[in-house]
Amino acid sequence: MHKVRFGSLWIILWLAGFLLPPGPARGQAGLADPWRGLGEVLAARDHAADEEIFSGFDDDPAPGQAHLDSSSARQGQPLTAWWPAWLELSGSMGLSASYNFAHEPPAPGEPDQRDFSRLRTALDVNADFTLPQNWRARIGGKAFYDAIHALRGRGQYTAEVLDQYEDELEFTELYLQGSLLPALDLKIGRQVVVWGKSDNIRVTDLLNPLDNREPGVVDIKDLRLPVAMTKLDYYTGDWNLSGIMVHEFRANKEPVIGNDFFTGSSASPLEEKPGLAWDNQEYGLALNGIFSGWDVSFYGAWFWNDQSHQEDTLAGIRRRYNHNAMLGTSMNIVRGNWLLKGEAAYVDGLEYSIAVGKKQRLDLLIGAEYNGFSETVVSFELANRHLFSFDERLKQSPVHGQRDELQSVLRINRDLFNDTLQLSLLLSTFDLTGEDGSFQRVSAKYDWSDSINITAGLICYQSGNNAMFQKIGDNDRLFTEIRYTF
Amino acid sequence: MKRQPTILFTAHAHHAAPARHLPRLFFLWLVLAAVALAQPALALTAREIMEKVDARDDGDNSTQTTEMILIDKNGHQRKRLIKAFMKDQGEDTWRIQFFIEPADVKDTGFLTYDYYHGDRDDDQWLYLPELHKTKRIASSDKSSAFMGSDFSYADMNRRVLDEWKFALMKESTVDNQKVWLIEAVPANKVVAERYGYTKSVIFVRQDIFFPVRAVHWVKEGGKIKYMEVKALELIDQIWVATETQMKTTQNQKTLHKTILKFKQIKFNQDIEQEIFTVRRLEKGL
Repeated sequence: MHKVRFGSLWIILWLAGFLLPPGPARGQAGLADPWRGLGEVLAARDHAADEEIFSGFDDDPAPGQAHLDSSSARQGQPLTAWWPAWLELSGSMGLSASYNFAHEPPAPGEPDQRDFSRLRTALDVNADFTLPQNWRARIGGKAFYDAIHALRGRGQYTAEVLDQYEDELEFTELYLQGSLLPALDLKIGRQVVVWGKSDNIRVTDLLNPLDNREPGVVDIKDLRLPVAMTKLDYYTGDWNLSGIMVHEFRANKEPVIGNDFFTGSSASPLEEKPGLAWDNQEYGLALNGIFSGWDVSFYGAWFWNDQSHQEDTLAGIRRRYNHNAMLGTSMNIVRGNWLLKGEAAYVDGLEYSIAVGKKQRLDLLIGAEYNGFSETVVSFELANRHLFSFDERLKQSPVHGQRDELQSVLRINRDLFNDTLQLSLLLSTFDLTGEDGSFQRVSAKYDWSDSINITAGLICYQSGNNAMFQKIGDNDRLFTEIRYTF
Repeated sequence: MKRQPTILFTAHAHHAAPARHLPRLFFLWLVLAAVALAQPALALTAREIMEKVDARDDGDNSTQTTEMILIDKNGHQRKRLIKAFMKDQGEDTWRIQFFIEPADVKDTGFLTYDYYHGDRDDDQWLYLPELHKTKRIASSDKSSAFMGSDFSYADMNRRVLDEWKFALMKESTVDNQKVWLIEAVPANKVVAERYGYTKSVIFVRQDIFFPVRAVHWVKEGGKIKYMEVKALELIDQIWVATETQMKTTQNQKTLHKTILKFKQIKFNQDIEQEIFTVRRLEKGL
């Protein structure tokens, strides 16, 4: 099945037109000829014209300006804070909804994925503690409850869906941070460590697992799952050596049977997770150099693959995780308004649900980001994952592997109305033309006030040769969220 | 540290004269001296005035808390609170800024190595706490809005004098203080592109060489921006605009305005180099 939903794609591309900065064709004054303004300047030398322009200073205060004050509420210490100065509470509350508009009516016995698929209230809170000697600590947690299941009838959802999508309560970041020596920092506890320069495609960024339960919909701040680790950073000159020991294993949060993002044909087998043991620790080492006009990093890691594979064991089929080794590098180069990116990672020890032995893979990424348009950032990244000693059996279900897997991401972000409105467009394709599937996401975030923002958007998936996208090709949805931040 | 000249307008040296001409010469000297003191503008070119503006002491380093108030045409306000550290490195300036408010951008940090000469791109890094990541920012274009305000990045930094052509327009008064009106036009297209202005007129207070007002003709959109110093204070013997407003207009209608209030200003503190690093950017305040 190869279904491409061109209608959704055209909507996305049409909306993209609003994201692009105004061009000369639009005939906006001063844009077609950048020196048109200079002509006006010369004309403005006329004394009377200048006087008229200079009278622009004599301005009544804007409505509300007369009420501006400099109360202590804006001095970094909220008036309402009843807690001690060494404690700072922050967080957000949100209400989000998703509407699936492309699903077909379900087959008998299948869950109905149409209409509203989310009506979620969420809360996340961070408590930051300021400790002596510039040490600090954070305790963070989040919770959500999705009422859509109760509203639509819990009976029509699988137990797995209710377990994973109806409610959640967990610690997020939980760490202690400070300097042991003037050039040596320690951060210990649950945390997120991001490796690499890429913003859209992961190559060397592998220390934290991901929340993949709703690809493209998960809030960016919740995408990486914190894990308990000890991180030591030593600084000398322009260099930083970072040593990491990961103590806690957390797997990716993946879609489960009954959810429309689940790509399997039957419920996932039982899972065997690595326990908390000395032999199960992960190790990482990063050497980062930051220089004028460019950065470079080198990485090495011995880590658990956060994505499971299936193994046929004496007890039956089980989902298991295996150790991988990675050597990688990343680089940034700045040239004017251009930021050029490069990343490479060689991963050894990959295992798949089809027993073909351990494999090696080389991931390469190149990318560029352009900041030359007014209030607009355009970035493009292209990555290829090459599997060495490719076994044709890997093309079969459930792996659906390829010798080379090409992915591209184009992202355009544009700020409007003095950063009140932020528009974002993301186009991602597998294979350059999207032959193996693609998705597009367009969203707008409006700052209603300093503490309340509203987000709305559309995400569309196009199925292709890739089996995963064939299963989620009709998961197109509208999404919205209102969030209060404190 | 940039030194402000202690004597801005000196009396010219006079040579010995025959005794019989002394009374007349003395009278003439008095008249000339009075004229010179009363009309110092006549002694300076626009470029020289701007050199003195540029040479005015602004401290080797400073710390401050900035309250940024964004006001749209309907009077709706948004506020940002930023803690900033600055340090001169020769002609260059290092800055690090941490957002304190609003809550959704709290702990966002911005580190800049601002190189005075325009042929070298600034080094900029942005720490985004939601992404747990420091992003390098490439932007030789200084015309973009600074944090969504009416100030551009160029407005927040010193201008390179050699990149502008200055002309003395006239004298006037602002708040009963005499000012020069200096016209500044970009020297070439590249400069105009980088700053985003086709012309500026700068109102420089004559007694302290401080720009108290400016009008900027924006290259795009037919907009005109008005900068106005609303409060000026002498702190540690350094003149500081403690409140500045920038207003963006189009067809004489206000589109948006920004008020910057600088508080808790401290100059010439013993600020360590370590502050201006990505390490500190990620650790926060």
